[in-house]
Amino acid sequence: MEAGKPARITRPDCWEEGMKIEKLLFVTKFEELWFDALQSLLDLRTAGLNHVVFLNVIEREKVAMHRGTGYRKEEEVKLREMANIRFIDWAEHLFEKGMEVGAYITVGNLVHQVISACEKEGVDLIVIGRPRQGRLEQIYSGSDVTEIIRRANIPVLVYKYLHPDAQHPERPFERPLLAMDGSPASLLSVKYLKGLKGVISKIHVMNVIEEKYLKSASGMTVQKARKEARSRLEAICEEFEGEGISAKPHVYAGKPAAEIEKAARECQCTLIVLGSSAKGSWKERFIGSTPEALSVKSIYPTLLIPPGDA
Amino acid sequence: MRKKVLVVDDDPDVITFNVSVLEENGYSTLAARNGEEGLKKIKEEKPDLVILDVLMPKQSGIRLYRELKTNEALESTRVIILSGIAKKTFLRSQKALTEFGGEPVPEPEIYLEKPVEAEELAQAVKSIIG
Repeated sequence: MEAGKPARITRPDCWEEGMKIEKLLFVTKFEELWFDALQSLLDLRTAGLNHVVFLNVIEREKVAMHRGTGYRKEEEVKLREMANIRFIDWAEHLFEKGMEVGAYITVGNLVHQVISACEKEGVDLIVIGRPRQGRLEQIYSGSDVTEIIRRANIPVLVYKYLHPDAQHPERPFERPLLAMDGSPASLLSVKYLKGLKGVISKIHVMNVIEEKYLKSASGMTVQKARKEARSRLEAICEEFEGEGISAKPHVYAGKPAAEIEKAARECQCTLIVLGSSAKGSWKERFIGSTPEALSVKSIYPTLLIPPGDA
Repeated sequence: MRKKVLVVDDDPDVITFNVSVLEENGYSTLAARNGEEGLKKIKEEKPDLVILDVLMPKQSGIRLYRELKTNEALESTRVIILSGIAKKTFLRSQKALTEFGGEPVPEPEIYLEKPVEAEELAQAVKSIIG
């Protein structure tokens, strides 16, 4: 891979028009994301998916210079060949379905390599896994995922596949939960999901009235807030219904991340979808940490949609 | 005049190996790191032969091969496929793309699976362009 540090992942020009997912970047370390996770996403072919790019990043620490050993070239070759063998096997499966496939095996920093591959390939979606590791490693991995989401101007799907508590639906896009907060990013999520009408069978649309807004309010005020939220959600549901997607509104109250997780469980959803930034939201109810918390901690696959003007 | 061979492969080690084998056997060489770059060089340089990998970034060898064989101006380009991807997969993939509405394409003249010995590669090239 070329040296340098691309600042941000830019969105392909066609993204605004139909928001199709034609090309996805599948980032794997093989520990946290296997091929059947990708197979579960092949439903997206109905929505235009025809190109998958694999990326495996070998962490520099695994091959870096160690006292007395120097650069561990043999280790790098071994890791590259192991990745290559997996990718050839996966690629053969996809090629035989008439799909286009590419692969990168690189050494370096995960975030930089993801951004670089996105820039070169012009992908529409990044798929990345949450690793099953120790607590400390999870914190670091979480920050990598967070950094990718922060820099991405395209949707990022965080797959929770091999985590012990994770939900791993066979068809993640079948019943998504769309968590709305009125931010440009969440409004763009509506447009995005409408483009996946052939893939989604039912969508649950929700809003969380945050706990802090309820504390000093009278019952009437709370009911009014609920009614307003419900009315906004119903309008969004009508948009989905207009596209032929069955949709149902839900209002919850409490801590956003916990309530979204609860709603996903209650509605038997297969995926959580939300804007990756709360800037400009209805009452800025989702603080920045909500997308971050769900992307790292939720047991559901989480799709984060960036704001249009980012 | 020496015959010109273009090696399209994303693996720099494979390029180095192929180029050295070809030059030892009297061919002039060019290289490209992916299908997109390969197509550009084919149009610009009009090589006598292309040695094409399949699994590459940006554009795979499957798509590049299809593009060559369905483009009137390029269809006469001679191609050897050299890949870790099985020949059976390559042919199935072309069949699937034809079924999706593409034109049928001929099988590659020679399909070699990686890794390849120097003699085998030299012999394959010689059998096509002399």
